[in-house]
Amino acid sequence: MATQTATPTKPKQDSAVEQKIQELRTLFADAPEMAKTGLEHALPSLMSQAAEAQASETESAGRIGIRQGTVSELTVIAPFAPGGAKRLRAVLRLLNGNFSGGRKVGTLHNMRFVFVDNDTRFLFATAYDGQWDPYIDDFATKIPDEMDVIFSAFEGWPGIHSPKVKDWIVKHQIPAEGWYVAHPDLSVAEAGRLKHIGKAVDEFLDKLNE
Amino acid sequence: MPTQTATANRPKQSLTVDEKIQKMRELYADAPEIGKTALENGLPTLTQALAAPSAEQTAGRIGLRQGKVSELCVFLPFVKGGAKRLRGFLQLLEGNFRAADAVGTVHDMRFVFVDNDTKLLFATAYDGDFDEYIDDFAAKIPNAMDLWLCNCEGYPGMRSGKAKEWIFDHQIAAEAWYVNSPNLTAAETRRLEKVGKAVEELLDKIG
Amino acid sequence: MLSVKESVGGQLGTRAPTLDLDEIQAIVLRPRPAPYFGTHVLLRIDDAEAGREFLRRLTPHIGSSAHWWSAAHTWLAIGISYAGLEALGLPQDSLQSFPEAFRVGMAARARELRDQGVNDPKHWDAPFGTGQVHIGVSALSDSEENWRRALKIAREQYEAFSGVSVLRSQDFGFQPGDLNPLGYKDGIDQPAIEGSGAEPLPGQGPVIKAGEFILGYPGEAGVPLPMPQPDILGRNSTYVGFRKYQSRVGAFNRFLRAHGSTEEERELLAAKLVGRWRSGAPLTLAPEADDAVLGADAQRNNDFDYANDVRGLKAPLGCHIRRMNPRDTQLTRLTDVNLHRLIRRGTTYGPPYDPNAVSTEADEIPRGAIFMFISAKAMATMEFLQQEWIDEGNFVGLGEERDPIIGRQEEGASFTIPHEPVRRRVHGIDTFNVLRGGEYFFMPSISALTWIANLSG
Repeated sequence: MATQTATPTKPKQDSAVEQKIQELRTLFADAPEMAKTGLEHALPSLMSQAAEAQASETESAGRIGIRQGTVSELTVIAPFAPGGAKRLRAVLRLLNGNFSGGRKVGTLHNMRFVFVDNDTRFLFATAYDGQWDPYIDDFATKIPDEMDVIFSAFEGWPGIHSPKVKDWIVKHQIPAEGWYVAHPDLSVAEAGRLKHIGKAVDEFLDKLNE
Repeated sequence: MPTQTATANRPKQSLTVDEKIQKMRELYADAPEIGKTALENGLPTLTQALAAPSAEQTAGRIGLRQGKVSELCVFLPFVKGGAKRLRGFLQLLEGNFRAADAVGTVHDMRFVFVDNDTKLLFATAYDGDFDEYIDDFAAKIPNAMDLWLCNCEGYPGMRSGKAKEWIFDHQIAAEAWYVNSPNLTAAETRRLEKVGKAVEELLDKIG
Repeated sequence: MLSVKESVGGQLGTRAPTLDLDEIQAIVLRPRPAPYFGTHVLLRIDDAEAGREFLRRLTPHIGSSAHWWSAAHTWLAIGISYAGLEALGLPQDSLQSFPEAFRVGMAARARELRDQGVNDPKHWDAPFGTGQVHIGVSALSDSEENWRRALKIAREQYEAFSGVSVLRSQDFGFQPGDLNPLGYKDGIDQPAIEGSGAEPLPGQGPVIKAGEFILGYPGEAGVPLPMPQPDILGRNSTYVGFRKYQSRVGAFNRFLRAHGSTEEERELLAAKLVGRWRSGAPLTLAPEADDAVLGADAQRNNDFDYANDVRGLKAPLGCHIRRMNPRDTQLTRLTDVNLHRLIRRGTTYGPPYDPNAVSTEADEIPRGAIFMFISAKAMATMEFLQQEWIDEGNFVGLGEERDPIIGRQEEGASFTIPHEPVRRRVHGIDTFNVLRGGEYFFMPSISALTWIANLSG
């Protein structure tokens, strides 16, 4: 990616930005009026955004899914097995958000379990560090039982140790079209480190004042 | 029609750990074999989790929260041509979401096109209650919001005063939500990154 | 007795008002007189017809905002809670048109207001939180004599017949130096409201659309905020968040003594908590010492912004007045501060500030401040302020820190005072104001009051 200079008037950049603006206008040609107005109002800031493209474009997370910096997304939607919704809902209520398994994995930023279409489908969405394959492998090695207790709610879940499991996930995963991460270079481990440093600094500064 | 489970009215847990384990066994009596086996094999870790105090709260009117970090998940049917438009727009943005940076409370957000491009799944992790700031978004970034939401059926516009209700109507609360660092807000992260950097520089100078 | 003009330093310019001032209750736009005396009376309606008769009798005495910039001696204000509207027999579809937070009442919004621990409604003074507070009548006067006369008039209306009961009555009044129980001049900063008929005072900030404070007018987004139905009920009405705080004067003085070894240090520390010195002089304009002349001058004591104090070296980012109105402070989250303003009518009750009170007994003496927070979306604004700007400090990068004056402090709480070269963090800040009760009221316009009073059935 070319280095951005202070003067965004290099002919090459101008035409690339111009082209993007054109494409946007074309895209929004048949949009509702409010959107067309919105686009025209937003153009100045969009233009400056496009001209200063950060090195934060999204990349692939591996086999499937997308990644920004170090943080990837995984979104799976699949039908529940018979009785799966009822079982899983009750399990999740009992767990009350305590997923100690998540900490064990060490690369898990967050995850959510959403029941859609009147409890017929199960949405699982997570943000994690690194690439897809190692991530699935990590779960299989570190918390296989927790995985299977929860994901057996899915229809046809082959089990985390099955050779078919990655294919199953790929089959039901939908890569995001847009993915934003506020701190793309902040892994779970790094966040932990920063918290320690922050605490140490506060204690140190307090002592200086005594 | 999305189910809006009344997560704000979760029954208080008054079961003992043993009672909870018992309940798990009952629940999994008719589970697929894989699930049954996993339950027995994973009992020690599961017991720990069941013994811990609740880590989940509500994010306000709807949605879950752990510590400071909330989840919001909406399913928005596309208008005709909306999927194509939004896809194109997102591609042009190349992952640059200035408005999200400006908002300052977004941890992550994803746009997923589901059911053959008929619906948009928008899911985000953010700080606080979004309800609290929706009027601020309408005042400060109405265009940025209108640009992507206009592609969804029935969107009234950020300045209509009806956006909050419309979003609420399409929101589905998670059944469960987990955050690795629940008390680490986006703002606190920015502050810590500065502190971390300053420490590095200081150590470099000394070393 | 000072006219409004005199009390703001003699230079109150007026513009032609565009609001229906004779419909809007006086307390919404009239500043508090100096000195001020008054009473808040809380009533329960036991019989709908009796309640409506009470309104019929009281309405002619309710002050309006007409000519609010001219001197007046006394005015009455009235607010009705949701339970009160029900008790008065409002029709169902009208009741349903009120916002959820108002309908359930302040006690039920404890989670949203972060009224927990010592502020939990289960600890509130009766009758707050019981659902029985139906009507609040406030009398506000510029002299003792006028106050007693106003109260007599109000009393005559409800003592005349049964069906309306007094639950609680709280006198309040001007303290020496117009100081609140912690020893500070309060009520200085107010929002400038478009169309109200006055030049904004310097420092009040940009003029804000009337609809943010009074129902029926366009708000900042250009459209009126949601209004209860029918139109005559909602138009020119507004909402009031009524909150009664007990000031723990002993705790405040003990804290200052624990963290400051000289009088000067203690006063500076106290000022750092509030954001102003006791006279009202803001730290931003007087960073080192109090300036009583500045504090008393309404044309100057609020005329500042934070452009030259980005890091809070003069007025700490977490100090009380900076939290209540961040002005141009750089916030960590996208916010339009103009959407989160309130008209604040504070009334002090109990014995005056005592700088020598240090005992825990002193904390229990009933003295403090009762606030009326007025806005067309008072519930939403108060809940926002409590969640975002009072009960935590993330909005200015202060993590878990809470408002040092009205925040509820946990064990070991701290307060950060930005300083060169190293910031000072004071540990062990205590809760200096405890919430003793509150309620959400609807403040009907004069016509709305008449409409309610004339309901049948």
